[in-house]
Amino acid sequence: MNEIQYIGEHLLPGRLGHMALILAFVSGLLAAISYYFATNKRGTIEENNWKTIGRYAFIVHGLSIFAVIGVIFFIMTKQYYEYQYVWAHVSEDLPYQYIFSAFWEGQEGSFLLWLFWHIILGWILMVKGKQWEAPVLSVLAFVQVFIVSMILGVYVGFGGEAIKIGANPLLLLRDTMAAPIFAQADYVTQIKGNGLNPLLQNYWMTIHPPTLFLGFASTVIPFCFAIAGLWTRQHKAWLKPALPWALFSGAILGLGILMGGAWAYEALTFGGYWAWDPVENMSLVPWLILIAGIHTNLIAKTTGHSIRTTYIFYILTFIFIIYSTFLTRSGILGDTSVHAFTEMGLEWQLVSFLLTFTILPFALFLARMKGVESPRNEESSASKEFWMFIGTLVLLFSAVMITASTSLPVFNKIVQFFNPLFEGRVITDPVPHYNKYQLWIAVFMALLTGFAQFLRFKERNWKNHLKKFSIHMGIALVLATLLSLVTMTWIETNIWQYTVLLFSGWFTAVANLDYMITFLRGRLKLAGSAFSHLGFGLMLIGIIASGVNQRVISSNPFMMEGLIQSTGDESLRNNVMLIKDSPMLMEGYRVTYQSDTIEQFTRTYTVNFQKLDEEGNVSEEFNVYPNILYNKEFKEIAAYNPSTRHYLHKDIFTHISALPQVEMDFEYRRQREDSLNYKLYELPADGGAILFNDSLKIEQPDTTLIYPYRAFLVGINRNPSHPDYEPQPEDLAISAKIGIQRMDEDSVFYVEPVLVLRGQLLISYPEQVNEIISKVRLNEQIFNRVFTLEDQLEYETFTFKQGDQIEYKGKSIQFAGFNRQPKHPNYAAEEGDIAVSAIMSVQDENGRGTTAQPVFFIRNNQPFNIKAELPSVGLHFRFVKIDPANDSVDIMIAESKEELSDIPVEIATDSKRSDWIVMAAIEFPGINLFWLGTLLMLFGLTIAMWFRISSLKARN
Amino acid sequence: MKKIVIVAIMLIAGGIFLLTTIASDASTYATFQDAKDSGKRVKIAGQLAKDKEMVYNPEKDPNYFSFFIKDTDGEEKKVILAAAKPQDFELSEQIVVTGEMQGEDFYATDLLMKCPSKYKDEEIYIKGEQ
Repeated sequence: MNEIQYIGEHLLPGRLGHMALILAFVSGLLAAISYYFATNKRGTIEENNWKTIGRYAFIVHGLSIFAVIGVIFFIMTKQYYEYQYVWAHVSEDLPYQYIFSAFWEGQEGSFLLWLFWHIILGWILMVKGKQWEAPVLSVLAFVQVFIVSMILGVYVGFGGEAIKIGANPLLLLRDTMAAPIFAQADYVTQIKGNGLNPLLQNYWMTIHPPTLFLGFASTVIPFCFAIAGLWTRQHKAWLKPALPWALFSGAILGLGILMGGAWAYEALTFGGYWAWDPVENMSLVPWLILIAGIHTNLIAKTTGHSIRTTYIFYILTFIFIIYSTFLTRSGILGDTSVHAFTEMGLEWQLVSFLLTFTILPFALFLARMKGVESPRNEESSASKEFWMFIGTLVLLFSAVMITASTSLPVFNKIVQFFNPLFEGRVITDPVPHYNKYQLWIAVFMALLTGFAQFLRFKERNWKNHLKKFSIHMGIALVLATLLSLVTMTWIETNIWQYTVLLFSGWFTAVANLDYMITFLRGRLKLAGSAFSHLGFGLMLIGIIASGVNQRVISSNPFMMEGLIQSTGDESLRNNVMLIKDSPMLMEGYRVTYQSDTIEQFTRTYTVNFQKLDEEGNVSEEFNVYPNILYNKEFKEIAAYNPSTRHYLHKDIFTHISALPQVEMDFEYRRQREDSLNYKLYELPADGGAILFNDSLKIEQPDTTLIYPYRAFLVGINRNPSHPDYEPQPEDLAISAKIGIQRMDEDSVFYVEPVLVLRGQLLISYPEQVNEIISKVRLNEQIFNRVFTLEDQLEYETFTFKQGDQIEYKGKSIQFAGFNRQPKHPNYAAEEGDIAVSAIMSVQDENGRGTTAQPVFFIRNNQPFNIKAELPSVGLHFRFVKIDPANDSVDIMIAESKEELSDIPVEIATDSKRSDWIVMAAIEFPGINLFWLGTLLMLFGLTIAMWFRISSLKARN
Repeated sequence: MKKIVIVAIMLIAGGIFLLTTIASDASTYATFQDAKDSGKRVKIAGQLAKDKEMVYNPEKDPNYFSFFIKDTDGEEKKVILAAAKPQDFELSEQIVVTGEMQGEDFYATDLLMKCPSKYKDEEIYIKGEQ
């Protein structure tokens, strides 16, 4: 087979990028090894040499990764579709601000994002790490080597077979798939990109992944510190510098997860912020363990207890980050998750990544465990560290429970490996399943965070402290009970478990607020934990309020009255159909679909809500603007985007759920137009009405109805306007205003369909009458009837000099001059032509002015002329002669004959109505408590981080 | 023994107990026959019967969508979902529904579709061929 010499490909960036990838891999390995020796030979002269090599290697490693990222951005912005990654994620019509989103939409890009953050964090540690630099960066570089290998794209011969290591993001499209187009040498000019999934074209996709990946990436730092501590046997010294990093990671990872929830709530139609989806779960689990680690880290630093547990927690956090990566990227979740990545063929690599970072750290831990000292004295059961430790175990417990349920697909795969007949298991109803365990864990955690705040580290004098403790607990119990009762007048907790959760949420909120006021006296920098735990309490209250009490506004009133039959679970029925301009009453609102507008691919609907009080008066009014996004061909809807009305105490969340088929698929709309049963009628010009019958087939019962109709002409318009019609100068356009009535109803409906002749193209703008499901359009014969034929025109010839003005049939016509570059739709210039047009200014009876430009030209010594017509004034012009001797021109002018004739129109009476939307509206009370609570938690972590950093600095 | 160890053992014991209860929330994918026999809520994984009619007529009821799927035994039954027709439903092949049998129909409350990924590796778009 002959190799094809392809034309137009840009191969250089791909080669440079791949070289940079290999360099990144090698320099990463070198950095890991050099820093390894720098650590093992610490205190010797060699240490500094190794460290220097390690530093340079890690810097080179970082720059190489930046180069790879740069190359990918370059080929993406240049739209080099010969690259598979560009082809898969970019398209011509992709708005520029989404180039970042397109970059990390794919697995390879997100790996690079992860690497990028590791490098930034690594460089900070290179500067700030002091004695920890070498061991920490050795571990980090080792991790980098593994991640880079995922995108290395190198084949290694192994026996007779080649094994693929990683998927190179810079592969050419023609190397990744076989398609007939690659038989053409210039295929590059013919392909276009797939572009970014429209569901991902919003600002969340721009901010969520980098935040989440910074969260993911930052968990490696406490892990590296833990390994460094074990490795160098400095079991205590690492606790202090690791803590701010862990707090940072907790805040950012938490923020990343929260953004995911906010995205789901704000921009998707899930109708909630958390769905216990496996991908969500597996980002929450490392966070829970990390939070446990932060608490034991604090205990260990303060009391010397729990050092071993801290090691385990930080190691586990990172293991679960890898496990989460494995679950979301191996395709194993396929059946159970809505938003996992597609497979990339990296399963074995991900598994070895996971196993390496499970086995090595734990082997090291077991080897060093004996050497970890802990205080002789056991924790007092009234001490803060004791209950904090219990709390961390509960967090771990929560993480284990979530992981166990989420890992069912993995469990299935493993069992099926040994027993292929085993049928995989699934959790029938995931949400209640998770809720029922996590609810009790949350209750326990809330109570714990409430009272443990008032306990003291290394408690030795409990008797003295007991009184103070009891007073504050008493206050918290009483206030929490009162507040719970107050809250329950607002939100219903008809299930007792929820009441318990509500109470415990208030308990920790009140206790921590009390702690902030009485113990800290407003010293903010110490208040990290109090803020976090207050936030936790508020979050629980918000979950109860918005989750248990969400209320469907868009319930169908007819069903409530038993007029239509119900199917299945009532709580699910949250869609109503809204007909344009027909208000619908629901749950105390009068809701009206008012209008819609299309801009590019987005169609935005305006839906008006009027809140009615008991007397039926409007007490409040607002609009929501849910929109839909069409795909590139306008053939289907790519995304339904919700619109939410925010209040302090509740949200009203709305989204479109369905549209008429003709509005969803414009291709179908055209077909539908063709399949309509149009019939031709002649409407008398004098406005007299015609009567006709037409039949309408209905489905249930399967029968045909015959309706009598009446239609009549109101008038015709030669300068028509129509919302969809954009006039062009040469158009011949006409509209007819027509009244139509179906005789079983009183109303007469008026429509004004438009017909346009543009060159040879006939464009029809029919008009729909939704109320009587009829559609009216003009028949093309109308042009012959309304516009006079050329041979019936009675031309008169006038001779003009420039500036001459005449009166013709009540209109004043002036020859304003020549146009030596004439433009006319029927005139195509040829070489050798001598062409000119006369500019004829016309003023009609009402003083309105227009211009006609008839063309005169000489071709091959023959004179020709092309007529110009002004339909609006009914005048026809021909430019027939130039007399250079007298400086004059001859223009023939004629007037259209206004003969009254019948107007042919076509009417279809089976055009289904298309002026409706199906919408869901749900009220989420108290959802802001959830956001406030979660943000306070992260705020608390951030304060704690600053406090720890400043105390680190103060110590130095 | 240390108190903490006792607490830890208690938690682990509780954990093992709870883990066993995961089994009770989990089950294998059922067939229509299983659903009929047990009368319980089940999950059924099946193929969308594309030749059978799909009904979504919002003018009549915007919360009624029905379609047919074929379960792993090859039995075809009508599934009724009390919601709007999901986006891209026609494209899906494998469908997982959760719900129960009522008479001859399966009433689903939850639906998961597996579509062949629309935006990936499907076909190469050729310029100017819209």
